[in-house]
Amino acid sequence: MRSLFEWVDALPSSIALRESLNAYPTMLTIHVVSMCLFAGLIAYWDMRLVGLTLRKVPVSNIPTRLFPWALTGYGINLITGGLLLYSQPMRYYGNFYFWAKMALMLIAGINMFWFHYATYKSVQAWDQGREIPMNARLAGVVSLVLWAAVVVTGRMMAYSGLMPQWWNNLNIGA
Amino acid sequence: MLQSFFQWMQGLPFSAWMLEETWASPIIQCAHLVALVAFAGAVLVVDMRLLGRGLIKTPLNQLAREMDRWMIWSFVALFVTGAPQVLSTALKQYYSPFFWWKMQIVIIGLLFNFTIRRRVAFAEEGSLGHWPKVVGFLSIGMWTGVSVYARLIGLLS
Repeated sequence: MRSLFEWVDALPSSIALRESLNAYPTMLTIHVVSMCLFAGLIAYWDMRLVGLTLRKVPVSNIPTRLFPWALTGYGINLITGGLLLYSQPMRYYGNFYFWAKMALMLIAGINMFWFHYATYKSVQAWDQGREIPMNARLAGVVSLVLWAAVVVTGRMMAYSGLMPQWWNNLNIGA
Repeated sequence: MLQSFFQWMQGLPFSAWMLEETWASPIIQCAHLVALVAFAGAVLVVDMRLLGRGLIKTPLNQLAREMDRWMIWSFVALFVTGAPQVLSTALKQYYSPFFWWKMQIVIIGLLFNFTIRRRVAFAEEGSLGHWPKVVGFLSIGMWTGVSVYARLIGLLS
């Protein structure tokens, strides 16, 4: 894995992005704005599942009407995130919060697929009602917590001096 | 006068504590970002509806009323977590053009929200022609501008 990161780090296009004055601020700003589009809409979908808001809106309306926008935000987020990683791979390789964010995104994705292919199949039975099945509520809570944690670890990536001691002892970035 | 006010903020014991305490700034910045996501979602759900997108099967005024409290409380959270950051880096903010542009749009955005946007969103649907679309577009534009300038304070100041 390290050699892959080192190989990318040495690519001329990676160096060019890294050395560009405007590339990093532009990519990071678009990353934050697209995060607002994606995570902002997903948060209210999750809160609908939990029963905290939009209780008069049929549950099935939200994926149909809001997910295309949320996924657009996610797509832009992935592209800009990928470019940020591509421009400074060795900065992120040894960063605990980068790997924590990746792991949390993976778990959030698994939760999303599990919900979609298991719980959501029976949505017609609880679409209009105020009583959401416990499985769906649980998926909503888990998703809220996981995406909030993704946002937090993403911000913490800037604090390379605040990584856990056990992680520092591994000397991964050295 | 404004400069001396910012110098006073920078000199407060709280500002010094914020800078000295290792975890204070990161925790507050993370909370600020989570509040931003909550705020952006509440704004977007209504603005997209104003644009004729999103939850079009739900009456606009019902959606606007429901999202109003989320928007207000997440903005309160943004203010509560934003103020300590301004206090602890007051002079950096003072000399950053992005900070002033951000604050100008925040004030215009708030005034716009509590006057025009709210009136349009709470009005009877279909009675205002193309105005809901204009309002939705302006609202998204203003709050996107705030996010962009906020990010640039940290990156380019």
